Amino acid sequence: MFFRMIRGAFARQKMKMLMIALTIALGASLATAMLNVMMDVGDKVNQELKAYGANITVVPKSRSVLDDLYEMEGSETDQGSYLREDELGKIKTIFWAFNIVDFTPFIDTQVSLPSGSEAKIVGTWFNHHMELPTGETLDTGIQNLRSWWTITSGEWLDETAQKSADVCMVGEVLAQNEGISAGDSIHVKTAAGEKDLTVAGIYNAGGDEDNQIFAPLDTVQALSGTDGKLTSIEVSALTTPDNDLARKAAKEGPESLSISQYETWYCTAYVSSICFQIQEVITDSVANPVRQVADSEGAIMEKTELLMVLITLLSLLGSALGITNLVTASVMERSQEIGLLKAVGATDGRISALILSEVMITGVIGAVIGYFAGFGFAQIIGQTVFGSSIDMKPMVIPIVIALVLAVTLLGSIPAIRMLLRLRPTEVLHGR
Amino acid sequence: MSKRSFFFKMITSSLIRRRSRMLVALLAIAVGGTILSGLVTIYYDVPRQMGNEFRNYGANMIFLASSNDVQLNAENVEEAKSHIKAGQLIGAAPFRYEMVQIHEQPIAVAGTDIEGAKATSPYWLVDGEWPAAPNEALVGKKEAAHLNLKAGDTFNMVYSTENDEVLESGETVAPTAKMTVTGILETGGSEEEYIYISTDDLEALTGSAGRIDVVELSVSAERDELEAYTQSIPAAVPEVTPRLVKRVTESESQVLTKLQALVLLVTSVVLVLTMICVATTMTAVVTERRKEIGLRKALGATDREIVGEFMGEGLLLGGFGGLIGVFLGFAFAQYVSRNVFSNSITFQFWLLPVTVIVSILVTGLACLLPVRNATEVDPAVVLKGE
Repeated sequence: MFFRMIRGAFARQKMKMLMIALTIALGASLATAMLNVMMDVGDKVNQELKAYGANITVVPKSRSVLDDLYEMEGSETDQGSYLREDELGKIKTIFWAFNIVDFTPFIDTQVSLPSGSEAKIVGTWFNHHMELPTGETLDTGIQNLRSWWTITSGEWLDETAQKSADVCMVGEVLAQNEGISAGDSIHVKTAAGEKDLTVAGIYNAGGDEDNQIFAPLDTVQALSGTDGKLTSIEVSALTTPDNDLARKAAKEGPESLSISQYETWYCTAYVSSICFQIQEVITDSVANPVRQVADSEGAIMEKTELLMVLITLLSLLGSALGITNLVTASVMERSQEIGLLKAVGATDGRISALILSEVMITGVIGAVIGYFAGFGFAQIIGQTVFGSSIDMKPMVIPIVIALVLAVTLLGSIPAIRMLLRLRPTEVLHGR
Repeated sequence: MSKRSFFFKMITSSLIRRRSRMLVALLAIAVGGTILSGLVTIYYDVPRQMGNEFRNYGANMIFLASSNDVQLNAENVEEAKSHIKAGQLIGAAPFRYEMVQIHEQPIAVAGTDIEGAKATSPYWLVDGEWPAAPNEALVGKKEAAHLNLKAGDTFNMVYSTENDEVLESGETVAPTAKMTVTGILETGGSEEEYIYISTDDLEALTGSAGRIDVVELSVSAERDELEAYTQSIPAAVPEVTPRLVKRVTESESQVLTKLQALVLLVTSVVLVLTMICVATTMTAVVTERRKEIGLRKALGATDREIVGEFMGEGLLLGGFGGLIGVFLGFAFAQYVSRNVFSNSITFQFWLLPVTVIVSILVTGLACLLPVRNATEVDPAVVLKGE
């Protein structure tokens, strides 16, 4: 009998049930979309902030103590004053390897140009394709890490093209001073060797780099006689904003932490713990956060996340109120039916059970539709804004279910209780 | 009783008699209005507030001397600065670089306005205190390690030039200053290789005043506006060439555009869904009054009158709900702004009519459909309860 009544209610009141289901679906889709976007926004914004370049630099231990300025030329190639190129891949094997977005090695040396003036030449990766020890591949280089460069003439140096060894890119200011244009060939000389380099492009970096020459890593290593050696590595990593623990670890060193604190710190993607882990795998290295980038990233991510949390709360509240309203309204208008049921001898418990199961079934149907619709909305937001899809967070499902159940219950119980208090004769009489 | 006053009596008494039901509808509309006005306010305010957050990346404009023949000095820098709109300038720090000798080694020293540097580069991490009194210095981390200095230490800074006084014994006497280290500067960048002291101390040491090598400025403005400054400032002050720090300006406009697009899209999705929610609630509220419509038709009311009356109710509800929503929405936006950006926002007056009108439109449209349906039905059928 109970099931027949419920089935009957659904068949007869198709339109009304559809409307409740629609509203619940709308509310649930709003909640799903906002929760999904909110939980992913940190990662997405972090990804966008990579436009500011590397947030960690790795330099050799001895070089970080002695200033670069005073051992620029002719400095002896001591062990320890260079990093080793063969260890680069190890950066992708640290605990937070997944958070390392890009890394690029650098080697620099002074060269003399045909005009007799000196310039700094930097060897690096441009668009390097790398096979990692873990079997993954990574495409990285300064095309990613110097996204603010504009090419004023010529084009980006393409490392993967053939005969790429003898090409270079020249900074705008240097190119103007020396009268170099794209396509020219320049003769550069160092104490260790000399080479003719074809200029692939002229770039504007809006900083010191406008006075430098950038060439492939191997070329500069050959020029300066430093095969397999690096002067620095720039690493771009996704990090968690610093908290008190991270600040303590950065200031007093990881040794000052207790064992449980150390574990928490080591297993959280703070910029200091990632630096620490890089130092562990690269011999004789010092990894330092670039404060300009690392600090600002943290601040902006925190603000964006907080903003999204508050907007999400508002929309959750909005959808909750919307659903409660409609459920209350639809239960209230059934006073006559409830009066009749009471008149034929139904107990309060059975009436409540009947109405509640009707509302709940509608709610579940609405919530399922709403979840998928909301997931669609989240993808639209992700694709339009960030050009990548929003991760499906399993945590959202229980939250949405709990929300819909709580809201429909909250919406119907007060209305049912109010109706149960009515006397059947009065209701049926139509007052 | 005139027709008009009867119309108003019908509307008001219907609202009063069905208090609880109408409260439900009003609540729904107010929530819709709150979300509308709150989110739109936030959307308008986010670029400005976020723009300020982005100033944490430090200077986005620098002033250089326009040629080797002219020099930057306090006057022309002040004048150039006055061309930047009030309120946009977050900080400006003039720098003058000199080589001095410390422990017989050449060291680069920068003379600056310490307060200005603090405002332009919020990311500077100082282990210890910022210099406040004369003869105090902030030492870059690498330089500190090199010279083995720590906060509280003192060192002698010697400024030697060719015209130093030569004593009879053959020794030279160069201007010297005794400095106290107040803090160690950590940035992870090239700033760690300098010692920072106040401009006054550097001028006292070198005996020459007024020279500035470069000025770093942090300006809270969008890229187009910054580019306009690079044109307008040299036109007014020919000695100064403003240059944009590309790394900061390019990346900022890139990221800020994305963030704005995010808030815009989120706002529109939330708005559309909320409006539909309001509409379904209103539809439900009206649908249950089919009986009433039937009764009035039976008493001889025309369809137009009935629709008009329901619309009048919707108008009243929509107007009230919208009005409540505007203020709740502003309160929400203010709360967000205080908590997220610790900054207050101004009330956008145009939002008041917009929210009220949108609420009325949504409510009206939501009522129109069920009322139309109800009037089309034969009163006898409706009253019989089919």
